[in-house]
Amino acid sequence: MAVIETFDKVQAVIDEINASEPKTTADLEQFRIQYLGSKNVIKSLFGLIKEVPNEQKRDFGQLVNKAKATAETKFEALKTALESAADEAQAADIDLSAPGEPQALGSRHPLTTTMNRIIRIFERIGFVVAEGPEIEDDWHNFTAMNTPEDHPARDMQDTFYLLNNTEMLLRTHTSSVQARTMTSQKPPIRIIAPGRVYRNETISARSHAQFHQVEGLYIDENVSFADMKQTLLYFAKEMYGPDKEIRLRPSYFPFTEPSAEMDVYWGLETETDYRITKGTGWLEILGCGMVDPNVLENCGIDPEKYTGFAFGMGIERQAMLLYDVGDIRLFFENDVRFLKQFKSAF
Amino acid sequence: MKVSLNWLKDYMDIELSPDELSETLTAIGLEVEGMEEVESIPGGLAGVVVGHVQECGQHPNADRLSLTKVDIGAGEPVQIVCGAPNVAAGQKVLVATVGTTLHPTEGDPLTIKKGKIRGEVSFGMICAEDELGIGQSHEGILVLPAETAVGTAARDYFQLETDYVYDIGLTPNRSDATNHLGVAKDLAAALKISKGLDVEIKLPDTSKFTIDSTDMPVEVVVENTEACPRYSGITIKNVTIKESPDWLKKRLLAVDVRPINNIVDITNFVLHEYGQPLHAFDYDKITDHKVIVKTLPAGTAFLSLDEVERKLDAEDLMICDGASKGMCIGGVFGGINSGVKDNTSHIFLEAAHFNAKSIRRSSMRHNLRTDAAKVFEKGSDPSITVDALKRAALLIKELGDGELASDIIDIYPSPISPVEVEVNYQHVNRLIGVDLSKDKVKEILAAMAMPLVRETAATFTVAVPTNKADVTRPADVIEEILRIYGFNNVPLPTHFRNAVVFSQQPDPNLIRDRISDMLVGSGCNEIMALSLSESRYYKDMLTHVPAEELVYVNNTSNVHLDIMRPTMLVSGLEAILHNQNRKESDLKLFEFGRSYRKKEDKYQEQNHLSLFLTGQNYGESWLNKEGGEVTFFSLKAMVSKVLDRIGMSSFQTSAVQDEPFSYGLKYHRGPQSVVTFGQISSKITKKMGIKNKVFYAEFNWDLIIKALRKHKIEVEELNKFPGMRRDLALVVDNSVKFSDIAAIAAKSGKKLIKDINLFDVYINEDQLGQDKKSYAVSFVFEDPTKTLVDKEIDKVMQKLIKACEAQLGATIR
Repeated sequence: MAVIETFDKVQAVIDEINASEPKTTADLEQFRIQYLGSKNVIKSLFGLIKEVPNEQKRDFGQLVNKAKATAETKFEALKTALESAADEAQAADIDLSAPGEPQALGSRHPLTTTMNRIIRIFERIGFVVAEGPEIEDDWHNFTAMNTPEDHPARDMQDTFYLLNNTEMLLRTHTSSVQARTMTSQKPPIRIIAPGRVYRNETISARSHAQFHQVEGLYIDENVSFADMKQTLLYFAKEMYGPDKEIRLRPSYFPFTEPSAEMDVYWGLETETDYRITKGTGWLEILGCGMVDPNVLENCGIDPEKYTGFAFGMGIERQAMLLYDVGDIRLFFENDVRFLKQFKSAF
Repeated sequence: MKVSLNWLKDYMDIELSPDELSETLTAIGLEVEGMEEVESIPGGLAGVVVGHVQECGQHPNADRLSLTKVDIGAGEPVQIVCGAPNVAAGQKVLVATVGTTLHPTEGDPLTIKKGKIRGEVSFGMICAEDELGIGQSHEGILVLPAETAVGTAARDYFQLETDYVYDIGLTPNRSDATNHLGVAKDLAAALKISKGLDVEIKLPDTSKFTIDSTDMPVEVVVENTEACPRYSGITIKNVTIKESPDWLKKRLLAVDVRPINNIVDITNFVLHEYGQPLHAFDYDKITDHKVIVKTLPAGTAFLSLDEVERKLDAEDLMICDGASKGMCIGGVFGGINSGVKDNTSHIFLEAAHFNAKSIRRSSMRHNLRTDAAKVFEKGSDPSITVDALKRAALLIKELGDGELASDIIDIYPSPISPVEVEVNYQHVNRLIGVDLSKDKVKEILAAMAMPLVRETAATFTVAVPTNKADVTRPADVIEEILRIYGFNNVPLPTHFRNAVVFSQQPDPNLIRDRISDMLVGSGCNEIMALSLSESRYYKDMLTHVPAEELVYVNNTSNVHLDIMRPTMLVSGLEAILHNQNRKESDLKLFEFGRSYRKKEDKYQEQNHLSLFLTGQNYGESWLNKEGGEVTFFSLKAMVSKVLDRIGMSSFQTSAVQDEPFSYGLKYHRGPQSVVTFGQISSKITKKMGIKNKVFYAEFNWDLIIKALRKHKIEVEELNKFPGMRRDLALVVDNSVKFSDIAAIAAKSGKKLIKDINLFDVYINEDQLGQDKKSYAVSFVFEDPTKTLVDKEIDKVMQKLIKACEAQLGATIR
């Protein structure tokens, strides 16, 4: 056989490889056996090398290797193409709208979410969390907080006293934590005290025997009413939106002097707005004031040297506003149909 | 408290709109909780105008009706059908135009429509007195004087005034504002300062007061001058008890006081004008014409005005007659026999000042929350008794034909003088946070009629008027200054004042939050239950809680909620029951909360995390057809997750079989439980009415937080050498525990065994024998110093197998 023919024979195989078009997996397998299998065509071509003159052996070897490489490249490309075609074909049969694995997501309670939101706002400006007991003595709940003995807040129908022990009660407000903190720490004091409080009231849609408050207290030298106003305005805007306005109304609490109630301008767009703002557009959010000198004195802090402000708000009220909850009892019934509505963390 | 705008206008000229005034009242601490427009005649006669009857003829289709043409001062005269017999051409009449709503004296409101009466169109109605709601007469239409101008609005013709009544939420510190004069004074001060208005207060004129005789003196003895520091009175004879005139009734009705008769109405009027409660006695019923103010022995019976017989307390201050018989609980409530009746002809009028606390106690004790008591308990003004008495006496003379028949009696042994308070100027600005000049401070004090009695370079001293019972200290004076200056006028600082304070570490709130979020990610719903619970649960269901540890609460509002919960368990069971009854039985719930117990006279509150799993573990799915109920091991995995997240790994483990668990585990540190978890005994769940098994974990959160203080993550160097795994199938008795194998592995493992896991359990009596099980256990070997070789591992494994055989009776499968 002429040398030329030998070269042509290899070239013919290369052309054959290039020209072949396996369409199915079976065709491709046929292709693989023919060109890449254990008894493939290309192997036999290597055998022809002995017929090639020495000076051309190198070129011939390269050409056969080219044939092998061509077969391999083509095989890989065809294989990938066929596989992805198969995936696509299969994909058409998958119902992607079917539900995913049942990995249940739980939910946070709206009251803790609201409470944490309030705490975070105050933590940002340097308030630290403090806690206190719920079964409290009369002194911390009332006497220290400048609530004289004949004050209406002490009426039997408002306060839960322990049975057969009128010295101990369920705290009626988180203000008792003020007394606890002031008697155990020295100024400066800058605390936020979230917690559960109790009132001897019949449970209904609008009022409950237990609810939650957040109390704030800042005692230092030269703390002023203006400082309080700035802090509370910041809170209102962080909590209800940067466009919110506040107003302070003179009010009365035994433990602050002067005392105020803070309203946020809620607007009068809906009927609910009218109802909750008594037609004024202003919504009462919290009570506040400058700590009464008697309270400071009761707790061993010199009222000549120190002044301070305190504020307190109900969490349920805020949560009811934020989430449009109309019945306070929903918070404590733990109906999962209610709770699951709070899956979202925001 | 109701405040009438027109009444306020008796004492001051107010140019502000009712809304602006409302805002001002709220801004000075007299919060307007509601405002009502009140017409002296319902509807205010809106739409009713004066008309001129130009023509009047017979209705073509009705004998008793007339057909009129009436000029109502707007456009063409209108045709009106009228049924009144007295209608005639040339009359000036009142016409209710189309669209007007009339409020007749009797019957329902009626809206006038354009209509046809017996075929003739009628554009309105010519009205009679009763139809307008201004009188009783239905004799015929009201005919006005001929000179009345056509088109005049009826409300102008009758000079009707619209009143606005504010409902004010009066705070207990505002003894000065229980009455219209007090509100007017406070308002005037605020308008002077904030709006620069020069508002003067016109006090009621009592200058014409003179007595007519001293025919009927009354002797007054005050035995208890502490409870009654001042007692004033006067006798008025020959009064005629009758209906009050309209102006007086109008004033009282505006503030929700029902008019009764002239005498009672005048006392109520003066109460709402001055804030001085008055009491009128029938002079003839006062034995010996002597009044003794004193307490009576405890248990003395007293028949009060509401016909209730009350047992008096030894502290109740009584107004008694000469026979020491109680006529009235002083300042609180009258007696049935001594009061003014329709046939009373002579009265003794009392104006006293009582001790606020004493009044409050009597009022609360007898549950008599009268207007008078509410005024006295805030601290009434001791200085005004005589003024109020003069004012009332003059009114009784005028409206009840009486004659003043005694001197004014005034028992006031220790006159109460204004409290003088010294205030540091600098403290005013320190507390408010503004720079008020001394002049500004003085201007505000002057506006409030708080006279300056002394002044030094640094301080001022004010004499606080006796109507401000609550103002006794510098802080109170500063509050008054700030109130009138305006809370909302205080400028905002540009920066926060802050202080260096340190937070509690670890932060319990943060940890709760993190763990909660993790549990939520694991499919749990956070619940929040009542701390109040029912003692009945602990009497027959959860008897493991010692009865003496229960904290009982005197709950008068919700009688069944009589204790504080001693564990978190019932809260969760109640939630499970509530949801099960609403077809939600697959639940994963957790709660952060407290339990409350009494231990030797101390009350203990412990923080817990409680975890409840019940029902199906996962929702039904096409991917996992088997589903499966939650088991102890679902709970165990959750417990481990919590502890791993906290970083708590060192504790002892004990089995638990006591109530309320049927089985479970306790992780503890010595006697202190970290967490106890297991299946709740079905005795308990059945009793609660819960159908499914309940798995419950109660974490001792206080202990966990404490332990966390010492927790620290220490990073180990990463192992450069590969690990190797060996598996072993051990056939053991059923009583052998995985923890036994793990303990042997730990001992034999020479610290090379990094991980041990139970990856299969196989039970087959035929193949393994009775009470046997096969545990497939994997061991992962690692050495940080070198690559392990088989020989070394085999050696450990041999030792391990021998130990298992010897100690556990295991055989290798």
